[in-house]
Amino acid sequence: MAADSVKDVVLSPVFKNNPIALQVLGICSALAVTNSMSVSLVMGLAVIAVTACSNLFVSLIRQHIPSSIRIIVQMTIIASLVIVVDQVLKAYAYEMSKQLSVFVGLIITNCIVMGRAEAYAMQNGPVMSFLDGVGNGLGYAMILLVVGFFRELFGSGSVFGFTVLTPVQDGGWYVPNGLMLLPPSAFFVIGLMIWVLRSIRTEQVEKAEYRIVANSKAKIKESV
Amino acid sequence: MASNNSIKKTLTVALALCIVCSVVVSTAAVVLQPTQQKNQELDRKSNILQVANLYEPGMDVDDAFDELITSRVINLKTGEYSDRFDPQSYDQFDAAKDPATSRTLSGEEDSAGIGREEMYSTVYLVGDDPDDPDQIILPIRGQGLWGLMRGFFAIEGDGNTIVGLSYYSHSETPGLGGEVDNPRWKAKWQGKKIYAEDGMNPDISLVKGGAESKYEVDALSGATLTSRGVTNMLHFWLSESGFGPYLARFHGNSEGA
Amino acid sequence: MGIRNTLDKLEPHFHQGGKYEKFYALYEAVDTIFYTPPDVTKSTAHVRDGIDLKRIMITVWLCTFPAMFFGMYNAGLQANMAIGDGFGALSGWREAITMALAGSHDPGSIWANFVLGATYFLPIYLMTFVVGGFWEVLFAVKRGHEVNEGFFVTSVLYALILPATIPLWQVALGITFGVVIGKEIFGGTGKNFLNPALTGRAFLYFAYPAQISGDSVWVPADGYTGATALSAAAQNGMGAVQQAYSWWDAFLGFIPGSVGETSTLAILIGAVVLLITRIASWRIMLGVFVGMALTAMLFTTIGSNSNPMFGMPWYWHFVLGGFAFGMVFMATDPVSASMTDRGKLLFGLLIGVMTVLIRVVNPAFPEGIMLAILFANLFAPMIDHFFVQANIKRRQKRDAAYSTATTEEAT
Repeated sequence: MAADSVKDVVLSPVFKNNPIALQVLGICSALAVTNSMSVSLVMGLAVIAVTACSNLFVSLIRQHIPSSIRIIVQMTIIASLVIVVDQVLKAYAYEMSKQLSVFVGLIITNCIVMGRAEAYAMQNGPVMSFLDGVGNGLGYAMILLVVGFFRELFGSGSVFGFTVLTPVQDGGWYVPNGLMLLPPSAFFVIGLMIWVLRSIRTEQVEKAEYRIVANSKAKIKESV
Repeated sequence: MASNNSIKKTLTVALALCIVCSVVVSTAAVVLQPTQQKNQELDRKSNILQVANLYEPGMDVDDAFDELITSRVINLKTGEYSDRFDPQSYDQFDAAKDPATSRTLSGEEDSAGIGREEMYSTVYLVGDDPDDPDQIILPIRGQGLWGLMRGFFAIEGDGNTIVGLSYYSHSETPGLGGEVDNPRWKAKWQGKKIYAEDGMNPDISLVKGGAESKYEVDALSGATLTSRGVTNMLHFWLSESGFGPYLARFHGNSEGA
Repeated sequence: MGIRNTLDKLEPHFHQGGKYEKFYALYEAVDTIFYTPPDVTKSTAHVRDGIDLKRIMITVWLCTFPAMFFGMYNAGLQANMAIGDGFGALSGWREAITMALAGSHDPGSIWANFVLGATYFLPIYLMTFVVGGFWEVLFAVKRGHEVNEGFFVTSVLYALILPATIPLWQVALGITFGVVIGKEIFGGTGKNFLNPALTGRAFLYFAYPAQISGDSVWVPADGYTGATALSAAAQNGMGAVQQAYSWWDAFLGFIPGSVGETSTLAILIGAVVLLITRIASWRIMLGVFVGMALTAMLFTTIGSNSNPMFGMPWYWHFVLGGFAFGMVFMATDPVSASMTDRGKLLFGLLIGVMTVLIRVVNPAFPEGIMLAILFANLFAPMIDHFFVQANIKRRQKRDAAYSTATTEEAT
């Protein structure tokens, strides 16, 4: 573990070992807050902040955490950080926090945060843990932004609130896809993304249980 | 590491952690609270300015609100202004939950589907004279298709001509009922009339397929139940149960004096 | 035998190592349209039956014809009646074709109605076929399996459950979603747990609700708004429906609605053939029907002052909306339905109950069969699991009882 380079720790969760695309963690908030890019961005930043700081603090006191209450300790640290982030958002990004509503609070239940604290910060130094948190938060934020991009573009015809495809309601030609504004569409977008990602990076594909034999007719023909 | 698991150490760590975390959390809450409250106020104020067509991007919402708008509390039953509550701090949503300051609506009366109605409501006035304002802005709420819709309804000083209707919170279907947010639809309200004669029975309603008279507004296409919810909620709030008695005071006044 | 010779000459190019190896699926599809596949089962035990997937699918396809032809006639009839009432005809190439072939908008003329309806339905069907077929072939080629006849059925069913006025680009998007997300993502025909045609329609229903629900989409006439009987009932009660249409109108299909769904009679003709040939499961159909009837009766008994849908009797539920079509063609899809005999009954019941529940209780959706079937599709594997496990337990118990009995005898 000591051999981890900074670059690896930060970048590998973004592409190679993405917490959403490969490990399929943290899906719930990805469904709820991705209907516009700006909301996705704020949510992504909030998760980066929480994951990085919780990793840092857990790592700092990791030598002193009794194993019997280890999970509770991590949970308390994460919960406190989430409340602080929520309060800050309410104070300085009110519009955003209104749209994010309970989902900032629900970062507590996001498996990525706790998973990194338990799997990485408990065994590694504070600096690396912090970077690991940043990396995983980035991986999460990236997926959120991509999903947010497609949902906002096709659902409202805009990107970051700027109209790209003028919807028919405003006199344009684009008929917005209402499904994209509903949370389930994030499932489809994430599913398709994972499909594309695994077609490119075939090492991410899980082992198939069985295979259809391709073009098998030829051999039968020969034997006839 | 073994010592980490002794009871003493466990308790110490737990206690220390709890103290540190609670200090951090409560500090954050206390320090940031004034800013948060200011934000909420700003949000409410800009919503009110918007429905009254007074909002301009980039304006100082606080100053504009203080300058243009007076908040008053009224007694819904009598329609008189009341000094029982301070308009700055009165929260009518809380009041609606408290049996002392609200009443239960019977099924028949409760066309808006809100269950309980407060006895006092805040109103926002544009103009200096509370008996002859330029605009009156009423807070309204009621059931849509999926849940409660909350908004503001702005009326000219004659208590009859509509300025605008705007919802600041609702959960209607995007693209159908969600079109209550569409500026093109909202624009259709301006200039419509609420009452056909000097009574308390509102005539304004949403109609399908082309509004013809000045008491009709086009319904949202494909959203029958949201449209019905909007109509019901207006009928409730503009009738005798809602702001009817209050608005009746203005019926002699001219439009936006 | 000219075709056979040509095909045989071409065949080697499509085999492994041949020039067009990738396109074997296409070759196979064309070949088996004209001729019986040459391969036979060589192991000792197998069922001798003339029926294969292709024949099943073609039969189902043919069974939709009564509903399809009546649907085209009725779509035209509804439009011509509206035009007769003074609404304008929609201009464009459809109008040109109607005028060229039929010459009028006379609702009394069967031919005029049929032609007008066909100018709406056929483009939808063609679009479905071309776009859906494209995905089907793409995946077949990419994955090296054969182009599946199941698509014949999916495409016609999908086209029949759309309103006549739906924009063609939406048709294309819907079938794309149905085929790719509803089927191919899970591995293609036989592995999908959702009905692809319904998946496509559900996509359109949530993505573009304005063009597939509401009052103005069912009859292709300018400015005409006419609710389907179901939404009329939801808004104004049974009385309003009975005033506009008699039960026989609804049973025969002279009501506005999705192209192929209106005539319960035409659908039942298809159902009879499906049942005689044992392609569709009578258990599923029975389950759906009984579930619907019981739930509807329950609601009529309870009654309600505020919700007029409570008062709709079961025989009206049966003839309105997509109920009959869903029961006969959608619920019986052998891939996405339950497999076990008793499971099929339960699966059907679930659909029937959910349909009426959605129609009556949910304020937003006047029609419920589409969502009910998709919902039951999700439950189908679980229902099967439940019955298979119950069966295994029962047998184990019986075997255990038998073996203790024999040991007791022996001692």
